[in-house]
Amino acid sequence: MKTALTLEQLTLAYTKNLTTVENLNLTVPEGELLALLGPSGCGKTTTMRAVAGLLEPKSGRIALHDRDITRVPANKRDIGLVFQSYALFPHLTAFENVAFGLRLRGVQKAELEQRVNAALETVALLEFAKRFPAQLSGGQQQRVALARAFVIRPQLMLLDEPLSNLDARLRLEMRVEIRRLQKQLGVTMLYVTHDQAEALALSDRVAIMNAGQIEQLATPEVIYTQPRTVFAARFVGFDTILPVQPLERRVRIGKHEFPYSLESRFNRAAWRAEHVRLGTGVWAARVLARSFEGQQVQYQLESELGVIQAAVPSATAVWKEQDSVTFDLPLEQAVWLVE
Amino acid sequence: MNSFAFTKWMLWLVLFFLIAPFSIVFITAFSDDNSLLFPPSSYSVRWLLSVMQTEIFVSSLITSLWLGFGATAIALVFGVPAAYALQRYPVPETEWIRTLLTSPLIIPGLVIGVALLKQFVLLGGNSVNLALLAGHAALVLPYAVRVVGASLANLPRDIEDAAFSLGASRAQVFWRVVLPNVRGGLAAATVLAFINSFNHVPVSLFLTGPGITTLPIRMLLHMESSYDPSIAALSMLVILFSMVFVFVTERVLGLSRYM
Amino acid sequence: MTNNRPRAWLLLFPATVFLLAVFVYPVGVFLLSSFRLENGVGLDNYFTFFSSEVNIEVYWRTVRIALLVTLVSAVVSYPAALAIMQLGAQYRGLLIGLIILPLMISPVARSFAWLVVLGREGLINKTLVGTGVLKESIPILYTENAVFIGLLQLMLPLMLLSLTSALENLPRDVIAAARSLGANSLQVFTRVILPLTRDGLTIGGTLVFTGCVTAYVTPALLGGPRVTMLATLLYQKAGVTVDEAATTVISMVMLLTTLAVNAALKSRSRGAA
Repeated sequence: MKTALTLEQLTLAYTKNLTTVENLNLTVPEGELLALLGPSGCGKTTTMRAVAGLLEPKSGRIALHDRDITRVPANKRDIGLVFQSYALFPHLTAFENVAFGLRLRGVQKAELEQRVNAALETVALLEFAKRFPAQLSGGQQQRVALARAFVIRPQLMLLDEPLSNLDARLRLEMRVEIRRLQKQLGVTMLYVTHDQAEALALSDRVAIMNAGQIEQLATPEVIYTQPRTVFAARFVGFDTILPVQPLERRVRIGKHEFPYSLESRFNRAAWRAEHVRLGTGVWAARVLARSFEGQQVQYQLESELGVIQAAVPSATAVWKEQDSVTFDLPLEQAVWLVE
Repeated sequence: MNSFAFTKWMLWLVLFFLIAPFSIVFITAFSDDNSLLFPPSSYSVRWLLSVMQTEIFVSSLITSLWLGFGATAIALVFGVPAAYALQRYPVPETEWIRTLLTSPLIIPGLVIGVALLKQFVLLGGNSVNLALLAGHAALVLPYAVRVVGASLANLPRDIEDAAFSLGASRAQVFWRVVLPNVRGGLAAATVLAFINSFNHVPVSLFLTGPGITTLPIRMLLHMESSYDPSIAALSMLVILFSMVFVFVTERVLGLSRYM
Repeated sequence: MTNNRPRAWLLLFPATVFLLAVFVYPVGVFLLSSFRLENGVGLDNYFTFFSSEVNIEVYWRTVRIALLVTLVSAVVSYPAALAIMQLGAQYRGLLIGLIILPLMISPVARSFAWLVVLGREGLINKTLVGTGVLKESIPILYTENAVFIGLLQLMLPLMLLSLTSALENLPRDVIAAARSLGANSLQVFTRVILPLTRDGLTIGGTLVFTGCVTAYVTPALLGGPRVTMLATLLYQKAGVTVDEAATTVISMVMLLTTLAVNAALKSRSRGAA
């Protein structure tokens, strides 16, 4: 498979909010949707701005296909940008917003109209072509922004938290929409988000970023089931992360030892709330809080190991607040980590 | 709501105090008397016609118009790029420059006028016209910087980045995206700069010469020597002109319909 | 993009050079010449100026009237600005327009209107004598009162606009919150509105005071020869008697007075915040 985007030893200093990115390496194959996932300040937006050409790297190399674009200005990069704020031109109609990039490229009138209308049709906004941004809803504005970015047939699309300003329902709809668009156009996409569910749902691969570094780069399935670092585990929902001590054919957790063969380098174990088994096991706890969430009931337990989150299928969730309960942390479901 | 009644009364009182005196100007402008009486004993438009045919008033008006438009043009040409730089490219010196560019507002106009006369005309050998234009341009430059700057501050930077990434050069970003979106600010800056120059007295007070007297100065001089309704007539015409100018500028540059 | 400096300077250069040439340089050289003596440098021109009782009187009159106009405009503008807020958004544009309108009108025209109102044969005297309140007309024009009235009308809109915009920026519902906690109108004003609009008051005060000290037309027309202010004195010294030393000293004194009051107002508002 051909490579669309290559970042080599990229080092960025972003003076304003002090996120620095150091020696970042990343390759994105053609046609892939790769999500850069991380909390705010992790360097994902800094990286994206550098790829877009809005921020000059201190050192390193950025290549688009086989072309080195490290020093190419943003307006010569052929990259489609979609912003969290949509950044539509307030003085232009939806049609003219989408036509903006084509006009700058000197596309002839007939072709321009045909391409703009096709783009608006793709995002189901043809009937809103004559409206100004202020007359469109948030979701519609975001779709215009998408059309404006892909109509220039960019070699790469960058989406910076594109759904953060939308309400929850619209966000789910647009997720599907963006994925469909990306497949339909076959365009390579770099998708920046802090929302792990969003990243896992729509991307081919996810890069978890922390403090200017990529902590893990893998498919959503791998990221979800086998996070490789404590940070990645916590970020994708492993709520219980405990120190462990590997002994010979045994593992010590807290004051108990369990028979288990574990490589001696690991010193942490992580579980999701739904891995924790209630009503059985060696640990004692008291129910602090109980919240019903439809399919399951979420418990907050106070135990000798600290506060533990547990999720139990609703049918079996018989414990009430203040009840005493025992629980088990099944070793075969634990993810073993190094910190 | 006793307190509301009180504040409302104060508002009406203030508005009366601010606006009512102009009705006196308007009434006196239609006086038929030879000297200034209020209320006039009879009414006509003869003073209005007379001032429009008085050579020195007409030539002063033309001077003031040229001065106002010239100063406004200079202020916009210099001020708009500066406002843009102050907003978009903050450098360590930004605050100093901002203070410099708005400082004519806090320096007494008379001081600017005297200083220009002394350094620019008497010692520098420049013409009074040039000194007058320079003084007025300096005087109204802060309006261009401030008002356009405030307008730029409301334009999200992402919008420029978006245009840039779509292939626009810096100049294209400025002409096609920035300027159309600060039209309201430009209109306001134009109105403020022109009206302030047109009505301004202190800077011009010392910068007069043969054939160069601004209309407000001419009116002042006339008031010192004669006590007739011609000043009321002139004042009314100037007030009407100012209002028409504000209206037309607003129509041409428009306060954005899409905001 | 990281290095903005060349681009910034390219855009700032024309305006900066222009102002340095036609404003900073002439005004600076002119002001500094107030320290120049026949042989060397010194404060002699200042001593000469302030040794005259008439000059000191002019100075205090200017400061006194300016402070009074500032104070009265603030006292009058607070309730008016509150009323603008209370009347609701649909009237706000119109009311703000009516307040801005006088600012757009020539100070010459504005002072002229007061000549007609305040003169010996003016509207006020005629009315008061006509209705028998006064036996004979009293002098109003060419007194400090006339200058005060003229300047107040000239400057009031600046204070009113500053306070209105400060009130517009007040966090929503704080007044209602204070009321629900049991504050009466006066307490709402002194404990909530005043502290929260102090910046607007500072800006308005600075504009009004500076405007009063530097205004020329109003004191010239309404004060006449008897009520001389710094600006009219400056004009006499520069244009009539051509006393260059006095001209430069008055200019410097005007500037320092406005700067001092601006700084005092600013530090007060910062200290309180």
